[in-house]
Amino acid sequence: MKKTVLGLSIFILLVLCVYPFLELFLKVIYSGPGGTLSFDAFNSVLTSDTILTAVKNTLLVSTAVSLLSCLVGIPLAWLLSRTDFPWNRRFRSWLCLPYAIPPYIGAIAWIFLANPTTGLLNRILGHSFLNVYTFSGLVWIESSFLYTFILLTVHASLERMDSSFEEAARLSGAGPLKIFKDITLPLIRPSILGGGLLVFLATAASFGVPALIGSPARIYLITTQIYTFQKMGSMSGIYRAGALSMLLLFSAAVTLLIQQRILRKSQFQTVSGKSSRPSLIELGKWKTPSVILVCAFLFLVFILPLSGVFISALSKVQGEFSFDNWTFSNFYRVLFETQETGRAFWNSFSLGVIAATLACLLGAFLSYIQVKTKLKGRNLLDLLASLPYSTPGTVVALALILAFSNGFFGVGPSLYNTLGMLALAYIVKYLSFAMKTTADGYRQIDDVLDEASRVSGAGWGRTMLYIWLPLMKAPLVAAWFLIFMPVVSELTMTILLTGPGLETVGTVIFQLQEYADASGGSASVLAILVVMLVVLVNWIVKKSSDGRYGL
Amino acid sequence: MSQVKFEGIKKQYAADVFAVSDFTLTIEDGEFVSFLGPSGCGKTTTLRMIAGLEKNTHGKIYLGDDLVSDPENKFFLPPEKRHVGMVFQSYAVWPHMNVYDNVAYPLKIQKVPKDEIEKRVLEMLKVVELNGLEKRMPNQLSGGQQQRVALARGLVMQPKVLLLDEPLSNLDAKLREKMRTDIRAIQQSLKLTVVYVTHDQIEANTMSDRIVIMKSGKILQVGSPKEIKSNPVNDFVREFIQ
Repeated sequence: MKKTVLGLSIFILLVLCVYPFLELFLKVIYSGPGGTLSFDAFNSVLTSDTILTAVKNTLLVSTAVSLLSCLVGIPLAWLLSRTDFPWNRRFRSWLCLPYAIPPYIGAIAWIFLANPTTGLLNRILGHSFLNVYTFSGLVWIESSFLYTFILLTVHASLERMDSSFEEAARLSGAGPLKIFKDITLPLIRPSILGGGLLVFLATAASFGVPALIGSPARIYLITTQIYTFQKMGSMSGIYRAGALSMLLLFSAAVTLLIQQRILRKSQFQTVSGKSSRPSLIELGKWKTPSVILVCAFLFLVFILPLSGVFISALSKVQGEFSFDNWTFSNFYRVLFETQETGRAFWNSFSLGVIAATLACLLGAFLSYIQVKTKLKGRNLLDLLASLPYSTPGTVVALALILAFSNGFFGVGPSLYNTLGMLALAYIVKYLSFAMKTTADGYRQIDDVLDEASRVSGAGWGRTMLYIWLPLMKAPLVAAWFLIFMPVVSELTMTILLTGPGLETVGTVIFQLQEYADASGGSASVLAILVVMLVVLVNWIVKKSSDGRYGL
Repeated sequence: MSQVKFEGIKKQYAADVFAVSDFTLTIEDGEFVSFLGPSGCGKTTTLRMIAGLEKNTHGKIYLGDDLVSDPENKFFLPPEKRHVGMVFQSYAVWPHMNVYDNVAYPLKIQKVPKDEIEKRVLEMLKVVELNGLEKRMPNQLSGGQQQRVALARGLVMQPKVLLLDEPLSNLDAKLREKMRTDIRAIQQSLKLTVVYVTHDQIEANTMSDRIVIMKSGKILQVGSPKEIKSNPVNDFVREFIQ
């Protein structure tokens, strides 16, 4: 019985998480006339100058973003965990907030601020003082979100690290900077490298910012190039998009392998059982300058762009700054008068609920098998589910199109451009996240609690209901919201999986910004609502789990 | 080596929450003193105040002739300037440096010439019986050997005082016994001032010149192991020392 359940689970995961990629690969390989073997798609991709430039751009941007993120993230993590920086917990959650906000919101904000002709900052600082449509604009906006990856990983590893390593160096007579260089940095190097590669991967896989900032500046990345090919509409376009996404998938896999290898090879045992309160380094006369610096940074990455979006959302006429010009009519128009945006909200909301619920249910079920049974092959579940999670969204979307466009294995109607396809994509993408979160929850619950309930006479069902469910409430609630949140504003996959007539919050914001009225403030209104949702959800998650989850 | 002097030390967390209070004690030059008490009694906090890793909120601490902490007059000497050696409970042997580099680190910070560093490190490794293992990485050492690296690192800079924070609690029983005698022998031959924190009355009894029994942040009794055994001030001390 148990074996059948495991077999069935593996089968489901194979269909959802592996088969689409296989289909993508096969369709691209057998793309000749009548489905014959052909490498034309690969050839045309690998010999095209445009593509090579896109590959080069992707490498350049990703490297620059990783470096800049490290440059900002490491000192911040150190400052917040090792010194007597005031209100460090509060600052940490503010500084980590961009982690949960989709970066394309940042792109919209910075276009509003630093558009060479109409940007708000350029009106103040002088015409064309800043130009967002540049390589550095692209790097800056991506970094202003992705530095949080470094901050989170490095901060976590500093908190886990036994503080006596640094204290021993202090007693040897070394000052703070020397300790950082000689002791701290070498010990956290694996997590820096790991975090840096994650940033690299996230940049290479990102779509929103490159599309909104890069494309107008004719800086094309792999993801935006795939989008262009796919939107050509022809089969050959799809095949070329497929070939290019195989390339992206391959580089992502290599990056991930390197990352795991680094983590496995050079991970020092720096965690000890005893957790003494670390003695904090006193900033002394550096306290005020460092607080000012951090506040200035926070202003630059968060407050300034957010207020830009706010001003735009509240302006009757874009670009005019007077009190008479303030209005809430944009909000009213977007939410209740414009059919398109209202529909988008409803779609995204219901998709969020459906995808989060199904992913959590399936995830909790699969991780139970993985953590709490001893069946052979149970670790395969985690491995299979993590495949779409670590694959760039663009590639996942393309694979799903090729696999399920003609219905489910040829049965039923085409799923392309349907809510069903979107829900499927979100579930496939976030299943691994649900599994990991619930698996951590299961691991913290001792098996004897289950056994005690059984001995007390409760069957499997009642044990689930009275013991597991209450104990698993926190991780389940967290997983649900942490899937709901990104799904509501998802863009990368959605833009490829939908066409006209099926709007979501992400695609509407994107299209409003790209094609339609940059002057109406509608995109800004939606962006504000997304940010408010993120803050609200983060608050709910944090409160409901007593700070175990959330930022 | 030097004397350590506490004058009316307090460590206050909140309005009436004291980790340590009314702690007055002089540890003589070359003396081996143990702080003994149940967990949470403030013994480790007091030890860390000698190193400067914790700050006392009231009172004065002297190392030798030097005042190192006097919060009422806003004076505090940071740990890197205090010149004390410390062996941590988790050893804190840096995993990315070999044995030699671990022990040489304090001397490198002091910019001691290279050949002298080598001489002193090798000498110290001989004292802790680790000669020949200079090139080993910490993960190739046993717990007992790591302990000795930490000890050598704490001693190599000829500190004013050596602080030991429950150093034997992670070792197995047999090794613990050997380390007890070894640490005591090293202390005697180098004439070290040692402050030793433990919750194990056997360790305290066999190694110390004097024992300080602590409970809830306060000193209950100070005396030689013999004195305390024959004349405990109250039932708590009697039961704890048994």
